[in-house]
Amino acid sequence: MTILDVKDLKKTYTSRFGGNQVHALKGVTFSVEAGEYVAIMGESGSGKTTLLNILAALDKPTGGSVTLDGMNLAEVKDGALASFRRENLGFVFQEFNLLDTFSLKDNILLPLVLGGKSVSEMEERLGPAAQSLGIADVLNKYPYEVSGGQKQRAAAARAVITNPKLLLADEPTGSLDSQSSSELMRVFEKMNRGGQTILMVTHSTDAASHANRVLFIRDGVVFHQIYRGDCSNEQLYRKVSDALTMLRRGGEGQ
Amino acid sequence: MRLYLTIALTNVRNNYRFFIPRVLTEAGLLACFNILYTLFRDERMSELRGGSYLPVFMAIGVMVVAILSVILMLYTNSFLMKQRKREFGLYNVLGMEKRHIGKVLFFESAASSLAGIVLGLGLGVLFYKLASLFICRLLGVESVFGFYYISPSTLLPCAAGFLLIDLAAFLVNRLSIARMKPVELMASAHTGEKEPRVRRLMLVLGAVSLGLGYFIAVTTEDPLAAIYLFFIAVILVMIGTYFLFVTGTTFVLKLLKNRKKYYYSKKHMTAVAGLLYRMKQNAVGLASICILATGVLVMISTTVSLYAGAEDTLDETYPMELYVDAHYRTADGERVAMSCGDLTELVREAASRAGAEVEAAVPIRYLAVRLAIDDVLRTSGMEALNSGGTAYFSFMTASDYRAATGADLGLAADEAALCVIGMSVGEEYGGGTLSAAGRDYRIAADCASFPPTYGHYGVVLPDEEALNAVYRWQKETLGAEAAEITERIGVSFGDRDAMRTLGFDVEREITQLGFEWVSARESHSEDVSFGTYSESLWEAAAEIYGVYGSFLFLGILLGLVFLFGTALIIYYKQISEGYEDRGRYQIMEKIGMSQKEVKASVGQQVLLVFFLPLVTAGVHICFAFPILEKLLHVLLLSETKLFVVCTLITFVLFALVYAAIYSVTSRTYYKIVH
Repeated sequence: MTILDVKDLKKTYTSRFGGNQVHALKGVTFSVEAGEYVAIMGESGSGKTTLLNILAALDKPTGGSVTLDGMNLAEVKDGALASFRRENLGFVFQEFNLLDTFSLKDNILLPLVLGGKSVSEMEERLGPAAQSLGIADVLNKYPYEVSGGQKQRAAAARAVITNPKLLLADEPTGSLDSQSSSELMRVFEKMNRGGQTILMVTHSTDAASHANRVLFIRDGVVFHQIYRGDCSNEQLYRKVSDALTMLRRGGEGQ
Repeated sequence: MRLYLTIALTNVRNNYRFFIPRVLTEAGLLACFNILYTLFRDERMSELRGGSYLPVFMAIGVMVVAILSVILMLYTNSFLMKQRKREFGLYNVLGMEKRHIGKVLFFESAASSLAGIVLGLGLGVLFYKLASLFICRLLGVESVFGFYYISPSTLLPCAAGFLLIDLAAFLVNRLSIARMKPVELMASAHTGEKEPRVRRLMLVLGAVSLGLGYFIAVTTEDPLAAIYLFFIAVILVMIGTYFLFVTGTTFVLKLLKNRKKYYYSKKHMTAVAGLLYRMKQNAVGLASICILATGVLVMISTTVSLYAGAEDTLDETYPMELYVDAHYRTADGERVAMSCGDLTELVREAASRAGAEVEAAVPIRYLAVRLAIDDVLRTSGMEALNSGGTAYFSFMTASDYRAATGADLGLAADEAALCVIGMSVGEEYGGGTLSAAGRDYRIAADCASFPPTYGHYGVVLPDEEALNAVYRWQKETLGAEAAEITERIGVSFGDRDAMRTLGFDVEREITQLGFEWVSARESHSEDVSFGTYSESLWEAAAEIYGVYGSFLFLGILLGLVFLFGTALIIYYKQISEGYEDRGRYQIMEKIGMSQKEVKASVGQQVLLVFFLPLVTAGVHICFAFPILEKLLHVLLLSETKLFVVCTLITFVLFALVYAAIYSVTSRTYYKIVH
């Protein structure tokens, strides 16, 4: 079943006086099946962040469409966008984006609180999520009291606690050391095995090699993609690495 | 040079959110300072009737505003610098040397200082006219000058003073730039803050202190004890306010946080958590605002009440318009009191010369003599008032008392009445014993008022015989200290209002006629001596309006300055919090909080932070009310209703101004957060 369908997505930025036009996305088309784990790679300026912002309904495209589980994002009313995001999407950001006034527990529960869930339901959901992410014993600490890896795992718990249809991750390992990064990637894999659809934007070949499929974006279009097939993580790592080298060479060749 | 100037001006423009309030602060404070200082210096004002009190009150005002100006300007400055440290760090990293930054800073400071001072002086000159008209109104005199008072002698010191403050601020900034390390300044890493803890001891102390202060304020009955108990209560309440703001708010918020059903709901969660942190940073500031606000309210409501009650006070103390006695020297140099009959004739003549008419004149004979208080007053309830001192006692017969006041005390032969002159004390002394000339009298009545005589205590004796006994007794025992009976008359002229101005002419005529009378009677050609002691409605009115009017003006102006300071602190708090909270709300919006929800959460927090001090100030005023009422009683204001009305009006006005500040600053806050 297709959970996310992106068709011919375009985004053009116009400078304030209408002079220069920057084409950040020139027609991106791809789709994500339910239960898939997709990584998107690309160099800085390739349009990754623009794409993610549009998928997250934080930005509006100039052309094309995004359909999430049969719902066209363009048809969601402005007033309902916040609750739409809350109910259907989960986010993990590079800089964690945890609130320093809340304990980890409260940070994780925040989306449920905003969704008006009952306290008993919150606690029911919190326990297993914290357990599987290995942060059960630091739940009552504050973000500044725990390590980066624990913060990011708390952020991941916050992202999945609402059982979103799609988990969007923007450079989730960007602020982490390699140890915490691989821990987080294991967590993502585990969540994916549990049925969570994940779309992750990353720079890191290592992170991307945990995915089922890797999309490469360059100059605002999908340039290439690699399926895992039967590859192990190491084999996929090599494939991705080769593809990146080719991508760069191709760039130089033009 | 030009480049630095350009950079500086651009900076001022870009940081208008900080600079505009800074310029307005300086201008507002300078304008107030200038007005007070000019009133202090302007001789035309002190020459007004009742205006002799102005310089004293204005001097107090000038000092208070000066101190407040230094504090507020430096506060504004430190705030401004804190917000811009990063900017300066960036300049440094980009290759500007510190002395270059210093130059930019200099031009910035110079520009805002110049703007503030010019605007301030302009406003000061403009509103001086209004202030002087207002004072004339308060003093009850017609304003005689229709021109502005512009003089370098008042403008220059004001400008120089504020320039000095600005210079000090600049030097502080320059120093902090010299010491800054750009790497530290650029580091944006947000080091988290610990959740505040509840300090239980402080909480208990605060609650006890506040409770005790309230208890004293509510239960104090003795108006004289109220004077010093009031200050104790004020200090207790201040301590209580600070402690409870710092720790009580945290305590309550934590309680709320622990109630899961309450806390984990859309409406409360972000607000409660946000407030916990906000209170940690702002509790002291909010407590200060609360105390400033209470001060403003007490100051304005009491001064307004006193002023508004002045007429009642005058009517009470001066049932007749003039009380006068006269004396002269005979040809052989003896000092003789003029008899009541002669004096009455004289006053009648003087009045008709001045264009007034005597309606009634009554003799008030009294004996004012200095005695040991303990010898005369033997009542258990009086210790607080008199411990072993001496005081002037004014003795008078019941019939004279009735003639002067119209009140028949109905004293029996062994009864007397007592009045503490100058204070409306009420029924405190009834049933006590009063001893005079070896005889004991039961104090049968407290008289609320006593005809204006010389003395601290007024004593009404049952009859002429008793008065004479006291006279003979003090002649025998006191020797040279003994006093004569004063032959005084009380005169009423019918038109009380007209006498406010006409009275001064009548008195002049009395002196004039007095000299003529003495020279006609005694045959010495030169060295004629005639003098009067008088107390009159018109003198008292000029006096009371001089004092209360100046007091009221000062109360209002200082109230405004305090309010201004309060507004400023609030504004800067809102802005700095706005910049801090911006990140938090951006995160919340990212994870699915709608703008409407963000706005509601912000609104809730800001509202509470804002109105907590106001509500607390209101509660303080309510509890302070009983003791303030007693204090005003001592100051002769006996109308409770008037005080209630004045306090209510003051509070409502204050709340309105406060709400206006709130709506402006919260709009700015929301713009920043959004």
